[in-house]
Amino acid sequence: MGKYLIERILAMILTLFIIMSIAFLVVRLMPGSVYEAGGDVSDQIVAALNQKYHFDKPIIVQYGYYLKNIILHWDWGVSLTMVPNVAVFDVLKDKIPVTVQLNLLSLFIALPIGFAAGTAAAIKKNTIVDHAISFMVVVFISVPSFIFASLLQYFLAFKLDLFPIIYSPTASPGIKALSMVLPIAALAFGPIARVARHLRAELSEAMNSEFMLLATTKGLTYKQATIRHAMRNAMFPLVHIIVPMFTNIMGGSLVVESIFSVPGMGGLMINSINANDHMLTVAILLFYSMISLVTVLIVDILYGIIDPRVRIGGKK
Amino acid sequence: MKIFDPNLPEYKDIPKEKLKLVQMDQKLYDAKFETEPIGFFKDVMLRFSKNRASVIAFIIICVIIFFAVFGPSMNKYKFDEQFTEYVDMPPKIPLLAPLGIFDGSRIIENRRADLIGNEEYYPEGSVLNVLNEREINGVKMVDVEVDYYKYIGCEEVFWFGSDYLGRDLWTRLWRGARVSLIIALVSVACNVFIGVVYGSISGYYGGTVDIIMMRITEIINAFPRIVILTLFIMVAGTGMFSIIMALVIKGWVGTARTVRSQFFRYKNREYVLAARTLGVKDLSLIFRHILPNAIGPTITASMIAVPSAIFSESFLAYIGLGLQAPEPSIGVLLSQGQKVLLHFPTQVLFPGILISVLMIAFNLFADGLRDAFDPTLRGAS
Repeated sequence: MGKYLIERILAMILTLFIIMSIAFLVVRLMPGSVYEAGGDVSDQIVAALNQKYHFDKPIIVQYGYYLKNIILHWDWGVSLTMVPNVAVFDVLKDKIPVTVQLNLLSLFIALPIGFAAGTAAAIKKNTIVDHAISFMVVVFISVPSFIFASLLQYFLAFKLDLFPIIYSPTASPGIKALSMVLPIAALAFGPIARVARHLRAELSEAMNSEFMLLATTKGLTYKQATIRHAMRNAMFPLVHIIVPMFTNIMGGSLVVESIFSVPGMGGLMINSINANDHMLTVAILLFYSMISLVTVLIVDILYGIIDPRVRIGGKK
Repeated sequence: MKIFDPNLPEYKDIPKEKLKLVQMDQKLYDAKFETEPIGFFKDVMLRFSKNRASVIAFIIICVIIFFAVFGPSMNKYKFDEQFTEYVDMPPKIPLLAPLGIFDGSRIIENRRADLIGNEEYYPEGSVLNVLNEREINGVKMVDVEVDYYKYIGCEEVFWFGSDYLGRDLWTRLWRGARVSLIIALVSVACNVFIGVVYGSISGYYGGTVDIIMMRITEIINAFPRIVILTLFIMVAGTGMFSIIMALVIKGWVGTARTVRSQFFRYKNREYVLAARTLGVKDLSLIFRHILPNAIGPTITASMIAVPSAIFSESFLAYIGLGLQAPEPSIGVLLSQGQKVLLHFPTQVLFPGILISVLMIAFNLFADGLRDAFDPTLRGAS
């Protein structure tokens, strides 16, 4: 297990390195330099700035400097256009917690609701409850999160005035918390449906299996057998979808954050791409890559721990 | 057991007349099949047509495709034709107007009450309703619901309203639907093609080839979707082709894996061995004998991929990497409408409904197809 873990982490670092190299090259080779001659800046200043940030060297040398700074000083470069002259890492430091909070909260809210809906659908299979939940699942899975965001923003925030329309950085903490409700809700619909759908499928399969018959023969009540035996078996495969779902929500959260003006990674990424803020873009892309790689790793490890039938790295 | 052969010595002497066919003069009791034989696809069709939700979804998809093809030419406006004096018009659908919805009305707030009836301010017949009478600082104020088209003297009729440049949204919506569908369908078709070829080779030959090819897919899969999409669009520039390519880069891996696993399941079956013994070539074995087994899962997976491609396209439009103006797509319309959501909600309403209906329909359709292709999976996720 230890060796396997080290191997996986090394592979992950290698992938991250490749992604970083590609991202750096792509972003730096895009047309349009950060500092252009002309305008209200003199040529000497442009030259000096380009020299300071090594923009006058070949791209490989630039990349060398970039790597050296990261490894030696944990210096991810300087944001040049978005938040001029602030270190990229400091910019991200403020934004990452907001985004991670938003995504984790919506996942944690979605899980119990999804569990309840999936269990109800499986227990009341082929009744009106099941059909209603299945219909809801299809709608929630299909409709993109930004449509839900628009709906919530228009009806709950604008028409009914229950929540702030957009996040305001100057508002009191209470109002700030209140304005996070809608983005969290908008992101939660998809996960609710996914969890409900999988749990319904797994649970109804487990309920039909022979160990359930044995459990009831043994004298367990329907409730006991369902909770202790069927539910537990139905939970294992869910690990496979719940953790990767985090990466999925991250994608949706990009757009939802910008709809509600939440000061997180989403808005930052959109703005930094549009503002040609190279170093910031690379760091943000790397952040998203890392999240998705880490989630995959967590799934693999968790799967081995929870379900001993799966042997990680077993020999053929 | 001996097999008859006219060249064998012991049969040489028997005269031809003595030989007769076994079943001659005997009555055959086998009845000829009177029903038509049911092939694989007919079987699938039968099962699919029993699933009401999926059939309805299929009809909805057909209707949307019909409008995507013919919708833009149903009125006289072009998708990039601008009426700069008629900006952000409300929708006006003549058929629905008597019911009071989409009749081109809009509520204008905080108007002075004494100006109502003044033809200079409100052209004849433009005032529909006077609401919310109140007095502020001694001046009577009202909200007025007006027929906006008469109010600003607009002779045009925009069925779904117009956008911030005065472009007809009906035309743009259906043209956008066309563009989004083309992006989705073409990218999925490319994915299926690459995935089938790649997966077949990897699955059929196995061994070292398989290990190397699967390593490559693993590496591609390690790149997160968002990052690949953004990076590729940044390199290749915005445009329909580069969006399609960006969706293909990662999309084919899923198909390749499905096809590969089907090959692993079927390549050691007896019928394949029989075919190989008869001297059937590798290519023919792959495409004629084994691949048809993978048709069901592949079609199902590709139908599920369509809505996610539509989603990705809208996502790119939202983060500013969508199609270049003036070309619309559902995502472009949504992200433009989102900016004026609070003032002109119908600009989000129509594309929002369209993308939701389209995605629900494709998901239901794919569910129905999956159940039809593989009834054992029914009810599973």
